[in-house]
Amino acid sequence: MKSTNPLRRWLSVVEILAVLAVLGAGTVARAQFGDLLRRTKEKTDKAQKIQKALSPMTVEEERDVGREVAAKLVAHFHLYKNDGLTRYVNLVGGTVAAQSERQDSGYHFAVLDSDTINAFSAPGGYIFITRGALHLCEDESELAGVLAHEVGHVAGKHVIHIVEHDKVLRAGMDEANARMPGSEYMKKMTQGILVKIIDQGLAPGDEFDADQRGMKYAHAAGYPADGLPRFLTRLDQATEQGGQSFWTRTHPPVKDRNQKMQQSISAQHWEDADRPKLANRFAIVAKTLKGKKS
Amino acid sequence: MKNAFRLIAWGVVGTVLVAAGLCIPCAQAQTQQPDQQQDQQKSDQNQKKKKKGGFFSGLKAVTGQSSEQQEVTATAGTKGVGEGAQIGNATPSSADRQAVSAMESYSIPPPDLKKFQEDGRLKPAK
Repeated sequence: MKSTNPLRRWLSVVEILAVLAVLGAGTVARAQFGDLLRRTKEKTDKAQKIQKALSPMTVEEERDVGREVAAKLVAHFHLYKNDGLTRYVNLVGGTVAAQSERQDSGYHFAVLDSDTINAFSAPGGYIFITRGALHLCEDESELAGVLAHEVGHVAGKHVIHIVEHDKVLRAGMDEANARMPGSEYMKKMTQGILVKIIDQGLAPGDEFDADQRGMKYAHAAGYPADGLPRFLTRLDQATEQGGQSFWTRTHPPVKDRNQKMQQSISAQHWEDADRPKLANRFAIVAKTLKGKKS
Repeated sequence: MKNAFRLIAWGVVGTVLVAAGLCIPCAQAQTQQPDQQQDQQKSDQNQKKKKKGGFFSGLKAVTGQSSEQQEVTATAGTKGVGEGAQIGNATPSSADRQAVSAMESYSIPPPDLKKFQEDGRLKPAK
């Protein structure tokens, strides 16, 4: 039966209006609440990124980056396949690295098949010396000095500090697949590192620091502390005669470095000049090196 | 009288619907406005950062090229690109990666290391 009471009709209209008003308010509230959630999530993500950017790199992150840098160095130069020499470099490198105050990353040594006179260290303890640099060494204490200098860069986290300083780069490390070998992120990261260490050079302070650390490790291992200064003097002469090395191009002048190292030797009273330089056993291994001596 | 009620009722319903329809875009616009401002601020900050220069700024300074351009250059020849940039452009093969893995797992047996150190009158780990 159709209602003819105007009051009842009016009430039903009011009810409809109330329902519509609630629905309308709900829609608005939902839109605002959803937006609030989205913004909260964005803020949380941003906070996490900032936290990541400010946190130091973990050893695993450092190793992943170093592994990629090492792979590029190997791809460019190729490893020098000489089992006896690789073993010898690992024995000398392992002896000086054992004296480093940093042991969490581990140290790995290899020889690159290049006539240029260079040595490289990548984060994570990957240390390379070229055939050319080995040719330039005259004894084991000089090789120990060069390797100890590279160990010093790893122990001092010189490259890692540069990466950590770039907050945008650092924050990107947590992106999906960023740390996968060959990822776009890794390509950019390793490109930056290689340009820094080979084309631009580290800060002079980092080089001096690696010199000091290296001398300390070599001396603590039982080698004479002046192995690196003797090698650098010969490197200077070799590059003047046309030898190729990025060390003289990107590192502080040899004269300054040697002066600082000699000052340290005097200040520390390291009277170790009578220690064996181990030229004989170095010569036996060096004989197996291909290529001309610089 | 009946028609007047009906007219008023539908008028009110219509007004509520229109109001609700207007409120949603308004609410969204209110929330989007700060977002747009934030986006603008972000892009300004990014531009400032680019000008200031981060870790990668040196890459461009050395090569004077974008990374995409470098890849092309590396394929065509590396004239004018630093050696570090050239090495950075290298694409390691699986053999290269295996060589690095072998480098990592290489170890000297402790007795051999001990003998090497004793022969050279060197000191073991502290």
